[in-house]
Amino acid sequence: MRSAMDSTRLRLPASLRGVLAIGLALAVGGAILGVPAGSVLAQNRSITIVLIEEPNLLDPCMSSQSAVGRVVKQNIAETLTFIDPKDGSVTPRLATSWEKVDESTWRFKLRRGVKYQDGTPFNAQAAVDSINRIMSPILDCGIRSQFFAGVKLTPRALDELTLQIKADRPVPILPTTIGTLTVYKPKTDAKTFDRNPIGTGPYRLVRWTVGQEIILERNENYWGTKPPVQRARYIWRSESAVRTAMVKTGEADISPTITVQDANDPTLDFSYPNAETTRLKLDVSQPPLNDRRVRIALNLAIDREAIRGSILSKDVIPATQLIFPSINGHNPDLKVWPYDPERAKRLLAEARRDGVPVDSTFYLVGRTEIHPGVTEVMQAIQAMFTAVGLKTELTMLEVSQWLKYNRKPFATPRRATVLHNMHDNDKGDAQFTTFANYHSKGSNSYLTDTELDGLIEKAVATSGPERRRLFQTAFKRINEDFVYEIPLFHMVGYTRVAKHLKYQPSISSNSEIRIEDISFR
Amino acid sequence: MGQFLSRRALQSVFSLFGLIVLVFFLVRLTGDPAVLFLPINASEEEVRDFTVKHGYDKPIYVQFLKFLEKAVRLDFGTSIRRNVPAVEAVFEAYPFSLRLAAVTMLLSIVIALVVGSLAAYKPNSLFDRLASVLSLMGASTPGFWIAIMGILVFAVQLRWLPTSGVGGVPYWIMPIATLALRPTGVMVQVLRGNMVATMSTAFITTARAKGLPERSVVFVHALRNSLISLVTVAGDQAVGLVNGAVVIETVFGWPGIGKLMIDAILQRDFALVETAVMVTALAIFALNIVIDLIYAYLDPRIRLA
Repeated sequence: MRSAMDSTRLRLPASLRGVLAIGLALAVGGAILGVPAGSVLAQNRSITIVLIEEPNLLDPCMSSQSAVGRVVKQNIAETLTFIDPKDGSVTPRLATSWEKVDESTWRFKLRRGVKYQDGTPFNAQAAVDSINRIMSPILDCGIRSQFFAGVKLTPRALDELTLQIKADRPVPILPTTIGTLTVYKPKTDAKTFDRNPIGTGPYRLVRWTVGQEIILERNENYWGTKPPVQRARYIWRSESAVRTAMVKTGEADISPTITVQDANDPTLDFSYPNAETTRLKLDVSQPPLNDRRVRIALNLAIDREAIRGSILSKDVIPATQLIFPSINGHNPDLKVWPYDPERAKRLLAEARRDGVPVDSTFYLVGRTEIHPGVTEVMQAIQAMFTAVGLKTELTMLEVSQWLKYNRKPFATPRRATVLHNMHDNDKGDAQFTTFANYHSKGSNSYLTDTELDGLIEKAVATSGPERRRLFQTAFKRINEDFVYEIPLFHMVGYTRVAKHLKYQPSISSNSEIRIEDISFR
Repeated sequence: MGQFLSRRALQSVFSLFGLIVLVFFLVRLTGDPAVLFLPINASEEEVRDFTVKHGYDKPIYVQFLKFLEKAVRLDFGTSIRRNVPAVEAVFEAYPFSLRLAAVTMLLSIVIALVVGSLAAYKPNSLFDRLASVLSLMGASTPGFWIAIMGILVFAVQLRWLPTSGVGGVPYWIMPIATLALRPTGVMVQVLRGNMVATMSTAFITTARAKGLPERSVVFVHALRNSLISLVTVAGDQAVGLVNGAVVIETVFGWPGIGKLMIDAILQRDFALVETAVMVTALAIFALNIVIDLIYAYLDPRIRLA
């Protein structure tokens, strides 16, 4: 028997034995060889932040993209002014004071003694270079296209620490707008995007291992107060369940965005208003949406309370307009539309009697993954419309297809479209919302209301209480007088923070995560 | 052999060219990169400027000729999102996918060889039934679910393994275990079935008649005869892995080619999509040649000329 076994072993084909041996060796050894060293778990004064996605670039001029902004903005590269997320007020950062020279010109006094992370001194000329790079059409800088589209800025260094910015039109809130513009090292290549940014911020980039991690370290020569966190490591995981698990196991300390379903540990998770507001945009140029009674009926048909706390979090706030209450220009007198299907039916019947084609089919368009649960929200809304006797066709589209309905030139032929979208404004002023969404020249606007255009133009060119009043009048016209849209919810985000850290996310956390705001318990 | 290799290489060049043409045109059907690159409130003028600047306004055949002209100089363009040569981005990600694929496949083949042949050794035994049930489960359970459950059990509850990421041996265990389930399951089923069928053929009866011990009959004669089927299935499974394991890469934060490709498609990063497809296609062609060579080695009747 023994010899038989031996002979069996001997007769195993060499190829097979080879496969077995190499396989076993490689299965174990291959895992070890050529693999980067293991990640270091959070050490003393070090934190790990797990993001939803890796940035494509780290160029500060792209920090309008949330993936870039969360790492770069105010950490590596700072802005001249800072928009306080609590109330939208403008406070000093690299500029200590500012004054209006005339309607289109502002003068900024810059902070003395500030140095870039490589030791280069910061001065007015550095700020000029930075602004010119962002405004240059050679680069497709996100900050320019998002906040300065169509505006020409001419910056000039009056002396070492005085910067003058002249625009080609009145810019009454330039100190607010300039709060979006990151300042970084002079002589940064203006022809290509930067992957190794150098700024004046409290943290400097140590390394970016593409696909794996980004490491920032405290800038010991920072001009301001030394923040408590010494080293920040950014990693990214697409799945919310994985991000939450990582904070639970101690592999990460903060996960800024998690889904409501994963926010299941009250000791670690909390919600915050994330500046996003959802609404249904109505193509009022198309019948029957050109009839105000029909638009009111659509608003009355929606049971917002049925969606809140079921499909969406109980913490979302039914909206009266497209901006949060903390944004300048928000109209506090507007009321949330009540759920009143009976009145909706009466209004529709009235419109029908007058020959309005209310029985034609509405084209209900949503965008997949714009927020968790969006498909269910759209299905619920469709059912609510059906309940008051409306016919709808629901289509959920991927972003590029959906954009054909949200951005000019709109898809043709135009139909009675009810488009779901989400808008964020964490910049403190209604200007960042109104032109694009409601002005007849706005890229996302279905409206052609010349009186509303005038209100918006006047508000944008005014400052102080008059500016607020004009924006409030505009929102009254949009949501009460003409009922151009169906406001849905001010949304909330969820974040998970390890117990040993103190961090309070804010309305701006979607676009920037300031490490200086994070401290240890 | 040389003739075989050169013929296959030539065939591959034609297939590759066809694939590149197909991908070039198909990816452009998915929409304009300007639409997604620019912010949601970008004006028509900005969209137009962007399109003109990047040459997307030119007739598609002009774009294609320009692409070919650069491609013959091995310039596959720059990733519009990352601002790095597309080839660089692909070669950064690909080794991660290849290492994962190689370790997974080797482990799967080893397990399949052992379990499949042992199951066939005594058909309908308890071990055989258990192997059948488990391999069927492995082949049919969704990887995504297994991955998330694995994280909850082994990382969150038991704290034995890290949840995700790239690092030393512990970081490899869950991605490989999850990824290996399907190929292992399929290969165990195929090998076991094939070996059981082989056991009733004439040459096995002859081997037994010669007085060879049963173990030798099963693990040498029957197994070697069934290896061809195993190689076929293994090749098929390996091709799937060489393409990148999108789900596993996404869940475990593995910076491989699958995730890179999906992101590039979603962001309409044409140069990156084209380069990634081309490089994976090259790897698959190479893999197919290797599989053919293994066939010839295992079965002397197969001639490669």
